[in-house]
Amino acid sequence: MNQPETREIKKVLVANRGEIAVRVLRGCRELGIRGAVVYSDADRAGLPVLLADEAYRIGPAPSSESYLRGEAIVDLAVEIGADAIHPGYGFLSENAGFARYAAQRGVIFIGPPASAIDAMGSKIESRRIMIDAGVAVVPGGRDPVSDEAAAAVAADEIGYPVLLKASAGGGGKGMRLVGSAAELSAAFREARSEAMSSFGDDTVYVEKFVEEPRHIEIQVLADHHGHTVSLGERECSIQRRHQKVIEEAPSPVVDVDLRRRMGEAAVKAAQAVGYTNAGTVEFLLDRHGEFYFLEMNTRLQVEHPITELVTGVDLVIQQIRVAQGEAIDPGLGERQPQGHAIEVRLYAEDPFNNFVPSPGRIDLLRLPEGPGVRNDCGVVSGGEVPIYYDPMLAKLIVWGSDRGHAITRMERALSELRIEGIRTPVALYQQILRDDDFRAGRLDIGMLERKLASGDWAAGHGEDPELADLPLIAAAIAHAERQEVVTSQPVVEGGQRSHWKTVARREALGGYSWS
Amino acid sequence: MELIVRHRDREESLQLERTESGYRISVGDNDYEVDVARAGEVTRSLVIQGRQHEVAVRRQKEGVYAVNSELGVDEVELMDPLTHLARLAHEASGGGAQQVTAYMPGRVVEVLVAEGDEVAAGQGILVLEAMKMKNEIQAEASGVVSKLHVAQDQTVEGGDPLFEIA
Repeated sequence: MNQPETREIKKVLVANRGEIAVRVLRGCRELGIRGAVVYSDADRAGLPVLLADEAYRIGPAPSSESYLRGEAIVDLAVEIGADAIHPGYGFLSENAGFARYAAQRGVIFIGPPASAIDAMGSKIESRRIMIDAGVAVVPGGRDPVSDEAAAAVAADEIGYPVLLKASAGGGGKGMRLVGSAAELSAAFREARSEAMSSFGDDTVYVEKFVEEPRHIEIQVLADHHGHTVSLGERECSIQRRHQKVIEEAPSPVVDVDLRRRMGEAAVKAAQAVGYTNAGTVEFLLDRHGEFYFLEMNTRLQVEHPITELVTGVDLVIQQIRVAQGEAIDPGLGERQPQGHAIEVRLYAEDPFNNFVPSPGRIDLLRLPEGPGVRNDCGVVSGGEVPIYYDPMLAKLIVWGSDRGHAITRMERALSELRIEGIRTPVALYQQILRDDDFRAGRLDIGMLERKLASGDWAAGHGEDPELADLPLIAAAIAHAERQEVVTSQPVVEGGQRSHWKTVARREALGGYSWS
Repeated sequence: MELIVRHRDREESLQLERTESGYRISVGDNDYEVDVARAGEVTRSLVIQGRQHEVAVRRQKEGVYAVNSELGVDEVELMDPLTHLARLAHEASGGGAQQVTAYMPGRVVEVLVAEGDEVAAGQGILVLEAMKMKNEIQAEASGVVSKLHVAQDQTVEGGDPLFEIA
């Protein structure tokens, strides 16, 4: 094996922004390592800069001119004497060229070898490697079936139910769900004729239909001494447009035996590409308990904190230790999750208005506190949410002694959270948390979009009818006080009250309208 | 003070008078005694019949408020009864030019029409980009583009006028 250069890390350059830059800086500081950040013009006064030991401008606001300037970032690391670069997630974290250039310049890339990033970066290539390594993938594939007999053979081999899909297709056109052999003949004819009329090409193929798929992923950690361990699963089935919004660990449906089997498959997957450092192997789990490899994310994952809370392992610290050549404790792979953790992602967007982004000034941010609550937050009260980057601002994570406790603790934490000035999906999350299916652990990856479309989760749903007038009352008071302030002269009765009037007069010009 | 209030699909008449520590408010047939206290720069504590509510109210534009409470963010429109009558008359006459404003801050990446173009309802007028998402802004009604307030590559704030259709 090609051993990378390892040495003691004394300074890390964080090639990212927002909450993940903050998270990495925390790990550095706890290890006594200096943390440096790069910032774009939009992030000069952002929280990562405020918390860093060193900060360097990397370019104007657009990410293509700042956080994606891989060569410039590596060159900067060399110039400032950083031993290593932590890429966070997104941006350059899965860019093999960046990892290669860092290695070439003698800077440790805190992540896997470039060859592993390449191998897992291609869907087709990684699928082939997994099949060779004996890791289950979704059965079936792109090989066309020429006639009904060939389709029947393929379907029998894969096992019903199967999907017939148009090779040229998309959008569900030319797609048929086939529950049993008896339905195949008619479905095959329909799929072909629909494919022909939609795409001018009647080629179809057969794929396993994964019933009520859940997204379950395994956190792995591998060092340069031949140890690869699984740190258990995370369930991330609450998604929209393939974007995760709520994650939990452990999964409500994964028992000790399934955890062991999925962990072994994930370790095999990592070893097949010579993986080192922290990574995540994603699987689909169907309702019969069968699981299939989806892809591997060759970086630290957004939802890593829930694993940290149920295993007691600090993943950022482990990443840095692995990167400087230390061996991991192989016993880590033997641990079972303790208690239950849930994470919600706080995006600047309006959940009930098609999730349109909501950048702007955060007029007030009050994060929840108290037992079992963790905030991984990249913004501050009074800060601006720029229009240039991903809308995720923060993650709220809770730990409870069991799943029920974790859910009520998250509800409690969300009720304490205040974010003013921008929209966030908090009201949607409150609805999800009190949903019967969610509370019973009946999750699948289509659930969020299905329940939004059906109106089960919608603005105002499940509200206490006694509170129906509350927004009207609050708006009327604000309106009345604004009228009073705009039309009246300064009041000089009690000092405090006239001060409020001054504030209100200023605010009345725009923004908040209270006296 | 008498006001007409609109919230979601409700429209109510609201009466409001000042009391020593807050307001006496009636919404339709419901009467409330509301105690108001300042809980910080942007939030207020409302105690209504013993129940406490922490709320922040942000003025979006004249007469339109975004209320953030334990219910989430609600948009509420308020007007005095005379404005309400004038509004009804205006709406009955089919309204004037339709002015479309930016619902989010962002950058205009593409303008798809020119002033004077005839457009159909649902037709794309321009593309606004924010946070890696491109959103096509469409004409709500058919008509003629009477005014374009923005050009390509221009950055806009939420609420800025984009175009008018007459």
